Amino acid sequence: MVVPMVTIVVAVLLTIAPLPEAIAAWRPHWVALVMIYWHLETGNLRSLGAAFTVGILLDLSTGTLLGQHALGLVIINFLVGRFRNRLRFFPPWQQALSVGALLLNERVVQLWVIGLLERGWPDWSWWLPPVTGMLLWPWLFLLLDALRSQRRAAR
Amino acid sequence: MFYALLAISLMAFDYRGQYVERFHSLATHLVEPFFWAVDLPFSSAERIALAWRDRAETEDRIAELELEIFEARARLGRLDDLQMENAQLRRLLDTTLRIDQEFIAAEIASVDLDDFAHRIMVRSGRNDGIRPGMPVIDSSGVLGQVDTVLNSMSQVILISDPAHALPVQILPGGERTIAYGSGTLEQLRLTDLPMNVPLNPGDLIVTSGIGGRFPPGLPVARIESVRRQPGQPFATAHARPLSAMARNRLALILRPVPRPGNPAPETQGLRPDDASSAAESATNESDETAESQGTTDDGEAQ
Repeated sequence: MVVPMVTIVVAVLLTIAPLPEAIAAWRPHWVALVMIYWHLETGNLRSLGAAFTVGILLDLSTGTLLGQHALGLVIINFLVGRFRNRLRFFPPWQQALSVGALLLNERVVQLWVIGLLERGWPDWSWWLPPVTGMLLWPWLFLLLDALRSQRRAAR
Repeated sequence: MFYALLAISLMAFDYRGQYVERFHSLATHLVEPFFWAVDLPFSSAERIALAWRDRAETEDRIAELELEIFEARARLGRLDDLQMENAQLRRLLDTTLRIDQEFIAAEIASVDLDDFAHRIMVRSGRNDGIRPGMPVIDSSGVLGQVDTVLNSMSQVILISDPAHALPVQILPGGERTIAYGSGTLEQLRLTDLPMNVPLNPGDLIVTSGIGGRFPPGLPVARIESVRRQPGQPFATAHARPLSAMARNRLALILRPVPRPGNPAPETQGLRPDDASSAAESATNESDETAESQGTTDDGEAQ
């Protein structure tokens, strides 16, 4: 349980780390990606409560309304739990597509919240993070897998 | 399902209510180490770069800055003269004296908050004397006000946030109104202007000082476009903020100076959310001026 928590914290830090303006719009939803990995592979962080807590942490760190990211992560975790058995046995590219769809769905939820708050309408770059997330997914998967097997070998 | 509902109701209460808002600012203390950890490489890199800068370069820089200070002093000397004259005139007119502001210089931290949150982090907090509600400006205009104060950092809400309203005055005409954030960094909205207000693109908007939080006369924005739609009760205008809106490295936080004879302005209820509260504070303000006029009269009588 320690490793997932540490990776989540690193994902939160990556979310608020400053990026050059040119690529800032491409920043993927790190926390969602990491959470999906742990849910799929080990079943850690599979409860909706865990997703909610992580989401609140992310809200506090990014200065958004409390619950904005939490709602998105809870929905993602619910869908992953629903389709877990299928998603686990997809080949990597197909898994990446499904993760892309999950992230896109989360983006729609966020857009809904922002629209309700009348915080201005985002431009097309709003839809870039799910694309980056989808492209990064196989590599992140391999990285976290390596981390996990290393931990297991060490034990 | 339960958690989704919880998240939605939390959002609603955070947007409207006070209890969750208080919890929000308390809970932000929990993630202060995160901000600190993300900012650390950048702040220490700046410090190292400063330490490693070679001697010749430093001397050049000092010479340059000395020249700048010299010029600024020369200009300020003239201003001092004007200020004295102004004070005398004001005394003659029996109005209150303007009080000098104190600044706290704060570096803007290298932390990327959500784009739609319209907030930035600065590298000074409670330990440096920052309190919620203090106005924040940069060298060219108003930036926003302090929202959440942590121990060594604080969050500043920008004037472009839709939940932010700023009592302003449009300069050539002297019309008083309220500038709302529009949700984009480059725009402010003025929505309740009288139809016949004399207003042109390029007019300067400054803070009016109504509400007591911002001192009067700070530059805010320039009018970009004015729309007078027939059939609408009010004219609307868009304005472009003069400050660099967080693209700068430094910000100045204004410390409110307690008025003689009056307690310091209260700092509760962070956002002057609607016109009615502004109007309320406007009446407070006029009471205050009346009071302080009384005190100056007394002072002169003695």
